Amino acid sequence: MIPILLGVTLLTFVLFNMLMKDPASRFAGRHATVEQLATIRAELGLDRSLPEQYFLFLKQIVTLEFGRSWSTKQKISTMIDDGFSATLCVTVPPFIAAIFVSIALAMATAYRRGSWFDKSMVVACLAFLSVSSLVYILALQWGLAYKLGWFPISGWDPSWTGRWSYLILPWIILFVLSLGVDILLYRSVILDESYQDYVRTARAKGLSGVQVYSRHILKNALIPIITNVVIEMPFLITGSVLVENFFSIPGLGGLLVKALNESDLPVIKAMTVIISIAYMVFNLVADLLYSAADPRVRLG
Amino acid sequence: MVKFAHRLSGVIAFTVVAALSFSGCTKKVDDKDTTLTVPLVVNLKGLDPIQADDLYSNMVVRNVFEGLYEYHYLKRPFTLQPALAESMPEVTDNGLTVTIKLKKGIKFQDNACFPDGKGREVVADDFVYSFRRLADPKSISNGFWIFDGKIKGLNAWIDAVKTGKADYKTPIEGLQAPDKHTLVIKLVQPYYQLNYVLAMGFASVVPREAIEKYGAEFINNPVGTGPYMLEKASDWIRNSKITLKKNPNWRGQTYPSEGEPSDQAAGLLADAGKALPFADTLVFTEMIEDQPRWQNFMKGNLDFAVIPNDNYDSAIKDNKVLPELTAKGLSLDNSTAVEITYIGFNLKDPLLGKNKDLRRALSLAIDPESYIKTFDNGRGIPAQSPLPPGLEGYDPDFKNPWVQFNVAKAKEMLAKAGFPDGKGLPEFTLESLSSAKDRQIDQYFASLWSAIGVKIKSSSNTWPQFQEKIKRNEAQIFPFAWGADYPDPQNFLQLFYSKNFSPGPNDTRFSNPEFDKLYEKSLTLPSGTERTELYKKMRDIVVEENPWIFLRTRKEYRFFHAWVGNFKWNHIENAMFKYIKVDPKKRAELKGKL
Amino acid sequence: MTVATANASTVAVPSSRNSLWWDAFRRLKRSRIAVISFVVIVAYVVIALLAKFGVIFADVSVPVGAQYLPFSGDHPFGTDVLGRDVLGRAIHGAATALSVGFIASGIALLIGITLGALAGYFGGWVDNLIVWLYTTVDSIPYILLIPSLTFVLGRGLINVYIAVGVTSWVTLCRLIRGEFMKHKGRDYVLAAEVLGASHLRRIFRHILPNVAHLGFVQFGLGFVSAIKIEVILSYLGVGVDPSTPSWGIMLDDAKLELARPFWGNLIAATLFMFFLILAFNLFNDALRESLDPKLKNK
Repeated sequence: MIPILLGVTLLTFVLFNMLMKDPASRFAGRHATVEQLATIRAELGLDRSLPEQYFLFLKQIVTLEFGRSWSTKQKISTMIDDGFSATLCVTVPPFIAAIFVSIALAMATAYRRGSWFDKSMVVACLAFLSVSSLVYILALQWGLAYKLGWFPISGWDPSWTGRWSYLILPWIILFVLSLGVDILLYRSVILDESYQDYVRTARAKGLSGVQVYSRHILKNALIPIITNVVIEMPFLITGSVLVENFFSIPGLGGLLVKALNESDLPVIKAMTVIISIAYMVFNLVADLLYSAADPRVRLG
Repeated sequence: MVKFAHRLSGVIAFTVVAALSFSGCTKKVDDKDTTLTVPLVVNLKGLDPIQADDLYSNMVVRNVFEGLYEYHYLKRPFTLQPALAESMPEVTDNGLTVTIKLKKGIKFQDNACFPDGKGREVVADDFVYSFRRLADPKSISNGFWIFDGKIKGLNAWIDAVKTGKADYKTPIEGLQAPDKHTLVIKLVQPYYQLNYVLAMGFASVVPREAIEKYGAEFINNPVGTGPYMLEKASDWIRNSKITLKKNPNWRGQTYPSEGEPSDQAAGLLADAGKALPFADTLVFTEMIEDQPRWQNFMKGNLDFAVIPNDNYDSAIKDNKVLPELTAKGLSLDNSTAVEITYIGFNLKDPLLGKNKDLRRALSLAIDPESYIKTFDNGRGIPAQSPLPPGLEGYDPDFKNPWVQFNVAKAKEMLAKAGFPDGKGLPEFTLESLSSAKDRQIDQYFASLWSAIGVKIKSSSNTWPQFQEKIKRNEAQIFPFAWGADYPDPQNFLQLFYSKNFSPGPNDTRFSNPEFDKLYEKSLTLPSGTERTELYKKMRDIVVEENPWIFLRTRKEYRFFHAWVGNFKWNHIENAMFKYIKVDPKKRAELKGKL
Repeated sequence: MTVATANASTVAVPSSRNSLWWDAFRRLKRSRIAVISFVVIVAYVVIALLAKFGVIFADVSVPVGAQYLPFSGDHPFGTDVLGRDVLGRAIHGAATALSVGFIASGIALLIGITLGALAGYFGGWVDNLIVWLYTTVDSIPYILLIPSLTFVLGRGLINVYIAVGVTSWVTLCRLIRGEFMKHKGRDYVLAAEVLGASHLRRIFRHILPNVAHLGFVQFGLGFVSAIKIEVILSYLGVGVDPSTPSWGIMLDDAKLELARPFWGNLIAATLFMFFLILAFNLFNDALRESLDPKLKNK
């Protein structure tokens, strides 16, 4: 974990410190003077040597004190804290729902492989993932919220009781968005398993197709499925920028894109490191799940 | 399996029912609620007036903080009136000493930073403190230019602060408070724009107690003297919305009784003499995307909104609001911004800088009329000169000979410049921003220039990268805009003064000794015909030299609902919400029908 | 045609080295879906090349009429904000998309399979190193990594290839590694080891064919995601050069136009994308099935 973290910090530092030659100019505004620029550079510690700046960056990570955003002047820890619960509320429910629904549908399509049901599912999934997410957002927001008035058009309520009404439409959209990709992937994973020898053995034992699928194939397909779930997990934190922007949800996705657009280096660095740490934790969990799902995989 | 399906259908039914019962539209509209809801197009950053350098932060911050002067709500051309000052300043000593009397009994908003939590009286020392804070290098405010090099001893104080030889107790010759209600500013040279900059948000008064208590967290705990206040920190849900409540300590003010001639007919004087502010609560909601913002407005969740380009055709035809919108009670406020959009040339570029004919050829190839039609639905005025509409010296009949779409003449100039049909010209780089619209505009310029044989490579940047390239003089050709800080054309003409070279505001690095002489002279003159004549001479030099391709000045179209009264947008000061009135009964009646 | 090929294949049985792929090819040709999809892909390539070399829709950067013209016979998808023909831009966009898809997922495929196979097969320090490498790359969300790479490299088509390619191999690498871990303990590999097969032989001849379909599926998915990443990059303003026609840029434009309503950019880009992705996926599927050794006797 430590070596990966070092790798991540180094990569982040190199990339983003190369991004801007002179970040101070952004603070000075349009009436800047050369003198002011120098003052700002000194205030921000940009006049120090690169190794020194990198060391300070590492120190921030160890102390979890990332300082303040260049753009908003807000405390970065507060900014991330603010966005965290909003983002997770938006992303987690559709993420989990999509996993279960797409596994079920993938099993069904794989089971009836080659049938019209299978073929039309594949085409539908592809249609789903070809259409830009923008279309779902615009169409559903306009139709369900504006025209029919079933949901608020956009907005946010930080209280736990008030926020749900704002969440349902984003959930539907994110659910639909992840379905297409997931079903296709899981279908191929399950199909792959269905050709294995143990399936034939199980069939020979006289198990029915449904039994074979639900007991044997699903169990063996779990490893690639878990792998895919872990791969998608950073999305839970970065969220969907478009959904956040269109529904005015104060999440981390918007924060990240804004930071990128504003070259807000302290925020970018902090987010990168935090997401990386979270991701590493997910991976540890996934490794545990691997060995639970398949005893042949030993923890390395 | 059947059991599962049954359970699943139960869950779905529950979700649908829950969704329907949650949906906000069934909520009854309160017929006593005078809340004014204002859309913000970008996320609000912070509430410190010396950091509020963008339009949208200013829009919020200026309701909480006030300065010595403010703009009259209705009068045009823009006119100042005293805010915290008792009267307009008294200028003596050949314009070098400015004495300002403060209103007595002005109180800061109640806040925990004061002993016993009650806001104390504002005194002249608070202004001295606030101006020092603006100048303090530790503040990193980009609003300091308003006093930079103008006030005696202030720049020396900054240098001393940097080396630790001075602090807030060190006296500054040019900033003095001889008594509790008198502020004396001593200037290095006459500064006829001083009143204007004192009306800017950067010059707002802040209490020392709050800065000492909250430090950097002052951005979340603002304490000012304005008509509205942030009651508790949790009223600001960052990146979502902020709720400001009426300030019970406010000095009080009444709605103006005079304005432009057209204001009477527009019903803008009906409330003359009534006590401000009208709305008890101001809510600013952040809506980045055009479509949900417009839908929220159409549903009555926002009291007013700028119409997005893409909804324009569904609302306005031949410059008239369509009947289906007027039937809903929507009205239009149509105002011209005080700004100029232009394409800047880097005059330090060996080719562009030395070849006036080349710049002229590039200018003649651009069609401002079609630009306005393509990108603004026709809402704009082609810009002719550095003097924008609405300000001193603007002449609607003035025509810039190089602002006209004339391909033949452009080709002729290109040949005269030594590059017939663009032969021998290297590819130019157009630096711009990376949004979809900026990208389209780039392509538009590129196609117009390619028609005369000039090749363009476009390079897109984030806003900070773009600024950085311009500040470092690395941008070759760049579309940019200047919005007025205050309604004096000097604010635009300074962009061509050679001592303001980038990183200062002269981002083309235009340098002309004749212009510099006229500019310096104009600074020593108060407003009047003599100065206006100088401005016109400067204008002619800029037009002749073509450091910019003049594009346009935008017109902004804002729609507001039938229950909103006294709506008149001010492009110099956009936080005028204390004047806007909401009729709660009418809203309760109409909103449900939208 | 199907009959003829079937006959031919029974006559000329190639050497065992090629039989797997030959069989696959034979089966592929029998699948009507595979043939149709392949024809569609080839059609895209041909049209894209024709447009690229100026045979059709030579110059799509010039206006052909007023802005936002409705759909018509001359301009099936209307004209865009600058009065340019949307169909022409969509066709040129196909060239951009195909090149991004092929080159970027090609780079990803190469890196992913090689590293995944090495890590999964050898384990130990090789595995540790490769896992470290991909975890580091992968721990930085692509939404940060790709834009920052293109920021550093600069905007442009080639930089998009590189940025997408060198960042999107991780998924495949992980999957291949997982499969190798699973397969290396299976009987057929152990048997090959007993028979004295070398490491390389076991990796490439024995295990890889059993997991190669993952590579193909991933290539297809990678192709799709490369196109989608290009859209995201356009949204962030760091994608291809603005003068390069691209579906990503068209969709980005669409955001400003849907309320107008002008749906030309959206519909054209979506349709072009959908049929290409559909063809790719169906072809992939068919290829996967025909390549799967366990299906040989079916």
